[in-house]
Amino acid sequence: MRQRSLIAITAALAAGALTLTACGSRDEDGGGSSDSGNGGTTVVIGVDAPLTGDLSALGLGIKNSVDLAAKTANKEKFVEGVTFKIEALDDQAQPSSGQQNASTLVADKDVLGVVGPLNSSVAESMQRVFNDAKLVQVSPANTGPSLSQGQDWQTSKKRPYESYFRTSTTDAIQGPFAAQYLYNDSKKRKVFVIDDKKTYGAGLAGTFTAEFKKLGGKVVGTEHINPDAKDFSAVATKVKSSGADVVYYGGEYPQAGPLSKQIKAAGSKVPLVGGDGIYDPTFISLAGKGSDGDLATSVGVPLDQLDSAKKFTADYKAAGYKEDFAAYGGYSYDAAWSIIEAVKKVVDANDGKLPDDARAKVVEAMSGVSFDGVTGKVSYDEFGDTTNKQLTVYAVKNGAWEPVKSGTYTG
Amino acid sequence: MSGVGPVEPGEGTHVQDAPPAPLPQRGPLAGHFERHRRVVLGALITSAVLAGSGYLYVTRPRPEPPPAPPYPNQVTDIAYLRPGTTSSNTASRGFTFEVEVITESGPPVTVTRISQPYAGLSVTSSPRTPFRTKAGSPRKITVTLRVTECGNVPRNAGLPFLDVTLRNTRAIQVHSFILGPQYAQDLSRALQVACSNKFG
Repeated sequence: MRQRSLIAITAALAAGALTLTACGSRDEDGGGSSDSGNGGTTVVIGVDAPLTGDLSALGLGIKNSVDLAAKTANKEKFVEGVTFKIEALDDQAQPSSGQQNASTLVADKDVLGVVGPLNSSVAESMQRVFNDAKLVQVSPANTGPSLSQGQDWQTSKKRPYESYFRTSTTDAIQGPFAAQYLYNDSKKRKVFVIDDKKTYGAGLAGTFTAEFKKLGGKVVGTEHINPDAKDFSAVATKVKSSGADVVYYGGEYPQAGPLSKQIKAAGSKVPLVGGDGIYDPTFISLAGKGSDGDLATSVGVPLDQLDSAKKFTADYKAAGYKEDFAAYGGYSYDAAWSIIEAVKKVVDANDGKLPDDARAKVVEAMSGVSFDGVTGKVSYDEFGDTTNKQLTVYAVKNGAWEPVKSGTYTG
Repeated sequence: MSGVGPVEPGEGTHVQDAPPAPLPQRGPLAGHFERHRRVVLGALITSAVLAGSGYLYVTRPRPEPPPAPPYPNQVTDIAYLRPGTTSSNTASRGFTFEVEVITESGPPVTVTRISQPYAGLSVTSSPRTPFRTKAGSPRKITVTLRVTECGNVPRNAGLPFLDVTLRNTRAIQVHSFILGPQYAQDLSRALQVACSNKFG
């Protein structure tokens, strides 16, 4: 009997301890870690981005961020009866691949929206395909103004494709913003302008040049480079002999990095400045130590200044993605969440089911989407452009990008 | 039958009772426990209850700490309204206009400075800085730009902006507000008038 008493007491204590442990975990996991979805209908969000090649650092950040948005929606059962999945295709930053991917995504009836692409030139090849299929496309990174405002956007804005939206602001603001900063804050007066002849690069160089000249600055030289080239020594020599006090480059970091390095090696110790296409740590590693003082503008304000981005940053880390979310991660999450919000509106308006013409209804619903996203308030204007038009100037300091000045377009 | 069965007790015999098993030897600890059983059990239960209470206390649900207020540049908007009424003196040497300063949420934001980046212009505001704006109460501000040097004014800037220093309980930040094409046009027109003899 005595032994039995001891066993009973020990068991009671153990049971008590177990109960306490169970009590302690009551807030840690709300029961069920399943992201297996809500059952019912599957909705696919397509992703198109460069997943391989020189620009894959940006493309993989886009893909992972969309994946995180889909998983979050499933976990929260954000749209009752709908499970979101992603289908990511690699465009290798090539317009022809992008167009092929667009056709592939259109052919999959489960795809109700697409996030991407990274490059404006790739977007041009995809827009008509998506628009004809009434399939919504939201780019987190395109900045070419004509994509949403038409070829004559400087004189007469006209939206060319109803299915096209974007969460990044445009080069109609980014180029002039850079020009204002260089002329007024950095006191630069003589610029040498280089671009890669692509839609994004040439367009950005154009909007920068126009504003810099209006302010009274001089363009002392212009050059176009081949994006496939590695040797820019001839251009670097021209920059040195031009007497420029700054170089503006319209293009992306795989070329901008070596270009900056070779300009400095040629003896011209002037900063190279570019847009969001060069705002990546890879630029600094390619450009080397001489890149301290180089500048870039990029869309939005630094994510660490946004309380709305804290959860995204933590969730992205917890999800264990191998690659960084990079420059467009927050914008990609918001692009995907816009599609999810639109799907929810459509489902809610149709007695909890997707209608037969779901794609067209999602396009319609997009214009009314409004929510507090990772990058701030997310909504779209009459052109499908984001209403959140913020930009930041970054400088390379001690081998890293650091924010220098942010601005908001309120016009 | 053959075989050997179990030996049965014969008459006058009886099966011997097995000797009683010896009591297990109790060690000094068991003896001690035996003597102080109630005390030890009481101590154990008290310890468990205390440990449990402590655990529950430490892991008790606590109210979330209040979130930090937003950065001022994330809740402040400055919108261009219209050219202001100006005295003839100002009209000849500058540009007066009205903006609306809006704090969307959070604690009040103080505008501590309004400046502009062009070397040939100076700027003043009415009310003078610093002034506060509260969420839900937009304020109309009159800004006056005066030409100090016609050679250094933005004759035809496409996207001129104001640099505004904002402060709230979270941070102090300098932020550029690009007021849009209407502001650019009105500014350009005013500066053309103010420096009409200087532009060639």
